[in-house]
Amino acid sequence: MTERTKDKESVVEKELSLGPVHPALIEPFRIRLFVNDEIVEDCELTINMAHRGIERLFEGLPVERALLIAEKVCGICSNVHAWNAVRVVESGLKIKVPDRANYIRVLINEIQRIASHLIFFGHAFEILGHETFSMRSFLLREVFMDLMAYIGGNRVMPSVPVIGGIRPRSDLTESLKRVILERLDDFEKKYLEYVDRILADPLVMSRLAGVGLLSKDDAIKYHATGPNGRASGWDYDIRRMMYEYKPFDFNVIVLKEGDNKARVVQRALEVIESLKIIRQVVKNLPEGPIVNRDWIPGEMDYTTMYFETFRGELMHSYSLDSQGLIRGYKIRTPTPTNLAAMEKACIGDHVTDAVLTIASCDPCLTCCNRVEIIESGKTRIMSEIEVVRKYGWRR
Amino acid sequence: MDAILFIAGLVLSSIVAAIIATLYSLVLPGIERKLQARVQQRIGPPVLTPGWWAVLKFWYKGKAEPIAQMPFFYKSLVWLGVAIVLLLLLFSTPYWWGVLGWGSILGLAGFLKLEEVLYVLMGSQSQSILTTPMPINDLVKGAKIKGVIREFVEQHSAERALKMMAIGSLPLYIALLVPFVAARSGMISDLIRVQNPVYFNSSWFSLPLPSNPVLLTVPGFLAAVVYFVGYLMLLNERPFNILKAKVDVIEGGVLEYASKLRAGYYLMRNLLLFALSSIFVTLFIGIPFDPFMPLCLILNMVLSLVLPVAMAILVAFSPILTFRQIYPATLGLSALGVLALILSVSL
Repeated sequence: MTERTKDKESVVEKELSLGPVHPALIEPFRIRLFVNDEIVEDCELTINMAHRGIERLFEGLPVERALLIAEKVCGICSNVHAWNAVRVVESGLKIKVPDRANYIRVLINEIQRIASHLIFFGHAFEILGHETFSMRSFLLREVFMDLMAYIGGNRVMPSVPVIGGIRPRSDLTESLKRVILERLDDFEKKYLEYVDRILADPLVMSRLAGVGLLSKDDAIKYHATGPNGRASGWDYDIRRMMYEYKPFDFNVIVLKEGDNKARVVQRALEVIESLKIIRQVVKNLPEGPIVNRDWIPGEMDYTTMYFETFRGELMHSYSLDSQGLIRGYKIRTPTPTNLAAMEKACIGDHVTDAVLTIASCDPCLTCCNRVEIIESGKTRIMSEIEVVRKYGWRR
Repeated sequence: MDAILFIAGLVLSSIVAAIIATLYSLVLPGIERKLQARVQQRIGPPVLTPGWWAVLKFWYKGKAEPIAQMPFFYKSLVWLGVAIVLLLLLFSTPYWWGVLGWGSILGLAGFLKLEEVLYVLMGSQSQSILTTPMPINDLVKGAKIKGVIREFVEQHSAERALKMMAIGSLPLYIALLVPFVAARSGMISDLIRVQNPVYFNSSWFSLPLPSNPVLLTVPGFLAAVVYFVGYLMLLNERPFNILKAKVDVIEGGVLEYASKLRAGYYLMRNLLLFALSSIFVTLFIGIPFDPFMPLCLILNMVLSLVLPVAMAILVAFSPILTFRQIYPATLGLSALGVLALILSVSL
């Protein structure tokens, strides 16, 4: 592991601020780079530009209805929010989920994991300036968008999990199983060629290797979970602790380099592991019911569930009152901590590389913009414009 | 009388050359984009859209005033750019070879340098809302480091343009020297005389083909490779588009150009795309862009497609390089150019 030491005598010549409206940022956030010529000496990222107050929307809703909102926290990782939301109530009310339903939940999750990683490649290569690799990635992703539509009926919001199991429409038929396996075989061949071409491209590798270094200690310190932590040598994957994943044989990919290349390669290898899991689901899918309706919404203490989403660790936490209505919903997504780690990782890079480093943590801002401001002991949500009106702004 | 005839010929040839070059250059971006799209397994835009229709569309868009330090100066830079590129092309046409020595390496290199300076000036003028002036509450909240200069991304692009001017475009100028050294003269006319001796004795409807093109020699070929990379650098195309990298400096100094000014910028860029290709054909193959010899002119235009086509393919497979890669690349290419220069002495 190459450790970069920050020069204590470094001079900050100027500030370069990018965003929140900027063509390189697919979602709104602010990057302030403090630079000396082209070299980033320090970085400050400001999120919370697209606050939607989604946690407040859950308040007082019946639990079954609220879970539809959970899926809409994010478009890319819609299934993980839906699944983790139902895991909370299933854990709190001790609802047993049939094995077949768990298998199909894992299936759709891994399909979406691959789709998410391919979006990451698309975005990362767009920032790298390599349009061909970027577009190729989106072309490859179509397989998984189709599969999500076949299984869930929708390309983006498949709505597979419900409390106690899965929706009946998401059950796998024999013909669908065959389609999944055929599409996977076709995808795998093209995908391996794609990854080989990326790794063999000297220009691309010259931009990725040795840039955006994040050490294992820093990854742990900033809690950079998911592929970012694992690409820095932190062997941490919640899937290993989840009973839903116990039946499946897969490897957790851990690399030691901690640079942008490692973050790309880690995800590339993780896609292959996800393919392995999907094949196991389809081949070993148990017979039986797909949903357990034998439960009644009732009072539930605060229950917290953690989940290994595509970008890292996700937390959902809430309680139910005596009428089964949701109280105190909290979501913590991996992006805030991952971005904090990238503030550190991009120091010492060129400006153009720094933006790539920030993107290499695969930030998802719609997931994470849910902050509440506490004033005089009362919690309330302020919009951006309210903050500006209250505190003013100056050029 | 001879002088009047010469001036009349000069004016007429310049007008004809400018019109043909402008019209033709509007097709080149379409070809370039179409090829890139095919490499990327896309259909791509219609051939006339990125050049011809884009310019027309912007020409008739509502007027939008750019935000700039000195708006009038900033606006005039576009038209200055169009004029510089047109003159650059005209200096490579036969009627200009005899005018005050402008049809020479000095005329070409001088105007190319002027064209590069434009990006520095544009970058230092443009002040888009997309960067520093954006009303974001982070200033209220404070920052890790306070009291430093807040720079516009266009200014950062201007600094990059300065670096590219100083170092990045060096290989192009070295490559440009090679055919002149091979011809033992700084004048384009002498260079054509060496490569294509029959050109000067040919009638207007004939097609004089070069007997001794410098491209087919070892130093000429090496110089052509270096010229091609320099061509990418001068056009700010990937992998050397650091001064207009979308990822950080967005469009660089041209960010604030809208409507007619944007159309003017496209005209300038498209003309440069053609001018540099046409100059390559003139200097390395010996077929000039002669408005009074139609076949010669058409051949020059057809061969001028080689560089944009090669560029489209390379661009499709290239990421943006940072100065970490550009400096060594420039050094290596300059070394190759110098080798070609030394070898060309023996020709």
